[in-house]
Amino acid sequence: MKRKYVLEPLGEMKAMYQAYHEEMVAMARENSQIVLLYGDFPRGAAGELLQKEHPDRIYDVGIAEANLITTAAGLAGGGYLPFTHCHSIFAVGRAYNQIRQNVAFDRLNVKIVLCNSGMLWPFMGGSHQIIEEIAAIRVIPNMVLVSPGDPVATKKITRAIAEHVGPAALRLSNPAVPTVYRDDFPFTLGKAVTLTDGTDATIISTGMMLSDSLAAAEALAKAGIKVRLLDMHTLKPIDEEAIIKAARETGAIVTVEDSSIIGGLGGAVTEVVAEKSPVPVKRVGIKDRFGQSGTLPELKEEYELSARHIAQAVRETVKRK
Amino acid sequence: MPHDKKLIQKLTEKARIIRRDAVEMIRAGELGWIGGSFSQADIIAALMFHHMKHNPKNPELADRDRLIVSKAHCCETVYGALGEAGYFSKELYQSYGQMGGTLQAHTERIVPGVEYSGGSLGQGLSFALGEALAARIDAPGDSSGRPVPRYRVFCIVGDGESNEGQIWEAVMAAVHYKVDNLVAILDHNKFQSSGTIEERMNMMPWMDKWRAFGWDTVEIDGHDFEAILTALEKADKVKGKPHIIIAHTVKCKGVPAFEHKNLHFCKISDEMYAEAMKALK
Repeated sequence: MKRKYVLEPLGEMKAMYQAYHEEMVAMARENSQIVLLYGDFPRGAAGELLQKEHPDRIYDVGIAEANLITTAAGLAGGGYLPFTHCHSIFAVGRAYNQIRQNVAFDRLNVKIVLCNSGMLWPFMGGSHQIIEEIAAIRVIPNMVLVSPGDPVATKKITRAIAEHVGPAALRLSNPAVPTVYRDDFPFTLGKAVTLTDGTDATIISTGMMLSDSLAAAEALAKAGIKVRLLDMHTLKPIDEEAIIKAARETGAIVTVEDSSIIGGLGGAVTEVVAEKSPVPVKRVGIKDRFGQSGTLPELKEEYELSARHIAQAVRETVKRK
Repeated sequence: MPHDKKLIQKLTEKARIIRRDAVEMIRAGELGWIGGSFSQADIIAALMFHHMKHNPKNPELADRDRLIVSKAHCCETVYGALGEAGYFSKELYQSYGQMGGTLQAHTERIVPGVEYSGGSLGQGLSFALGEALAARIDAPGDSSGRPVPRYRVFCIVGDGESNEGQIWEAVMAAVHYKVDNLVAILDHNKFQSSGTIEERMNMMPWMDKWRAFGWDTVEIDGHDFEAILTALEKADKVKGKPHIIIAHTVKCKGVPAFEHKNLHFCKISDEMYAEAMKALK
């Protein structure tokens, strides 16, 4: 199977928050407008740097997410480029109105880093595993929502949202993920990346599900089912053109996300397909239930998020063509 | 030392004009928040027409002082002050609360001179905190190395909206970061939307709470310009902590027939309009 932009074999395992900070260290040095805000959250490499070299560009407001988001909005009002850091469940869950009213409403240039995003946060259990964030954020006007699939994409996306003038939210998963992309892969905000091509079906993946989706595509190729794999790293604005093209050229779509399929990537893709080019769709993701404690493999198995589940979903959807 | 009588006269006159213009706006929009708009009017007049550094001809002036009205439904006297100062033509008053109008029913940053889009209570003090922190970044230091902020931030907070927990998150953080270029003014008009503060959620006494968090505190009559100006000037002198001015105000101050009543959100009838114009002529 021909793969584009993809390392063979896959590279180093790394947490997205670490990759984010590796890029942020350079960005914070280059751009004196960048201010890092935390809600009692680990500083990371860029935070340590600013603490030492520019203590007036780093603030921790304590366990107070509402104040975190609105203070960032005020800093943006004052001309700076704030990035906020706290657990996604509490940014989206406890400061939703602040994201809507104080950030998005005025298109203020605030970047909300949704740390430990999504369902696949091992051990922590249902109180901390957020299933609602894609649906909740993408419904807010003016927001950009991005969800990188590996450490290399994380770095490129971090830079891209800093260059984008306006509000953006960045999903960063907890577990270390394999490096999928070569460093030189072309990245454009709002444009899905095609990793493999095929005409039998399309897998549209977002976030950390990328490597499992790639494994599913490879397994299917061996069984003679040729799959197009799209990395939908930008959930809003979603790449409608790539979705419509996939529907027309492959006739079957499977969406894959570590989030609720209700209003999530599955919802977003289905909205486009139903209106613009109806074809069979199956949504792999969290099916209207809360999370629980468990290891990463256990959670993937229980919530039907493994490569095997993705491949099975493709087989079922191809039959409905 | 008492302030110049002419200054006090000027501010009294400005406050009368912005209240009168607010009534015209509420008539045009057919609804409005007259009570809370009038209780804060004298504070806004003192800030906008004397104490604050700003330039109506250049709303984006880099180091302008900021006014954040957290109780942003009380927008009519904010718009009135901005119109009177010359940020925009008073013709805009007729667009208040109307489809496609610039003057929306809660303050919005699309209006020249408005720094904060409110409407969701309890958030303005956090926004003001962010603006105040921004004023300190890369600011030059004084002889002791303490940064001299490039501008000051004033935030009018409602007594009712102080029920919101986020107010106290901002109160906590402003002290932690010693944000002394932040001045909060509590418009303590004794009412919230559906009743008195005492009946709905009695948080009095206010002073003890702010002082316990470590703020520089002062309690004044919020309709006495001498007291307002003195309190604002004191805030400039006290370093190392944020400032709260607890301003005792009267809901709907300025039209005696309406005062001390909870005219929170209402229409202005022909009779009320005549009464208001008589008092504010």
